[in-house]
Amino acid sequence: MHCDEDAICLEAVSKRYLLSFHRPPQDIKTAILHLPSVLTHSRARWPFWALSDINLRVRKGESLGIIGPNGSGKSTMLRIIARITPPTTGKLAVQGRISAQLELGAGFHPQISGRDNAILNGVLLGLSLKEAREMIPGIIAFSELGDFIDQPMRTYSSGMYVRLGFAVAVHVRPEILLVDEVLAVGDAEFQDKCFAHIEKLRAQGVTIVLVSHDLPAVKRFSDRVILLEQGRITADDKPDVVLHEYVSRLSLLSRVMTQA
Amino acid sequence: MLFVALKTFIRIETENPYYLVLLTGLFPWIWFQTSILLAAPSFAHNGALIKKIHFPRFVLPLSTVVNNGVHFILSLPILVLLILFSDSRPSVNWLLGIPVLTVVQLGMLMGVVLLVASLDVFFRDLEHLVEVFLSLWFYVTPIIYPLDLVPDKWQPFILINPLASLIEGWRSLFLENALPGLELWPALLFTVAALVVGGGVFRRLEGGFADAL
Repeated sequence: MHCDEDAICLEAVSKRYLLSFHRPPQDIKTAILHLPSVLTHSRARWPFWALSDINLRVRKGESLGIIGPNGSGKSTMLRIIARITPPTTGKLAVQGRISAQLELGAGFHPQISGRDNAILNGVLLGLSLKEAREMIPGIIAFSELGDFIDQPMRTYSSGMYVRLGFAVAVHVRPEILLVDEVLAVGDAEFQDKCFAHIEKLRAQGVTIVLVSHDLPAVKRFSDRVILLEQGRITADDKPDVVLHEYVSRLSLLSRVMTQA
Repeated sequence: MLFVALKTFIRIETENPYYLVLLTGLFPWIWFQTSILLAAPSFAHNGALIKKIHFPRFVLPLSTVVNNGVHFILSLPILVLLILFSDSRPSVNWLLGIPVLTVVQLGMLMGVVLLVASLDVFFRDLEHLVEVFLSLWFYVTPIIYPLDLVPDKWQPFILINPLASLIEGWRSLFLENALPGLELWPALLFTVAALVVGGGVFRRLEGGFADAL
């Protein structure tokens, strides 16, 4: 397989989490005090495969939607693509600067101001300090935070959090944008603004991966959709086809439920 | 306070004024101690960043170590002023000695801190144990006493402590204008070992940070 031209390429990627009945000790004191049980019980773990044998290639400039029920591995997949957590087995190749909006709130520190957080994020994502400072006016305008930008983030409402998070994510000039179900928190007006901006980035050739339960949005913004179920890709096709498949399964499921 | 206690009650007698002996040991130590204390939880307490953004994780402890190093450098003028009041004079040797010792201490700190901070993600009480260990380390290092005050037969034991040779290196640079030489070997050896071990442990555990936090 040649991954050279792809923006994102996963080869036989699996992610395993180890679960155990007994919470493994979090500190040395507990570990020593409970040494006998630590040695016996905490060995009793069983693996949970959040993702198994995922093969996925996303071309540069492609928009990919990921749908699936809760716990199907969508977020784990984004975390692996964003290189937050490494896959247990398999290979991952990513080309281009990734900007990720994973779940609620990007990496924000509650004690420092929104402005400083935005700059910190930009620098951590690989911008120079100067570039990070230059993107601030755009971020303030986009997030409509106004003077609140200089208040510590702990005073922000969840909507303000999301606004700043999304504004930062799209202003760091990403080549790959990962969006995980964050837009639901913003109000309708802001959602429209975000979607318009995603559309703009898409036109500029930015690769986009969108995880959402908002099926109309997925349909609107994706060139291709994959369906994840229990850690496996069970459908990978044009949006219409996959969405139809997913919805018909859901309605089948609900019919069975009501009959039972 | 330390000065009054040790000077008037224990009556430490030294060649150079005692306050200089004390401060030339204390300033590098403060950099050492504060860096380790503050950097130990630098991964564990930054879960919000680590779980959301991909960036080279080692910058978190590095920033603490460098920040405290800058504090140390900024405190040097005070030392210069006090030295000018006494008989000795700063010399050009400082221009080479300070960077060399700074690099050694920076490397030593990064090695130790990478190890401690990486393990702290999985064993949270390590940051408190480190505190206890540091206060012990303080007394077995010639900081509040110069090395020559230690009885000859005990000196080798003090010098096993790699920090001792580094602190003595700083002291002889400031007070005798002596460039650090071969007697620095325990510190150099420890720095290399700490960087290898600390870097190795960090690299092994780094991937698990986001899942453990």
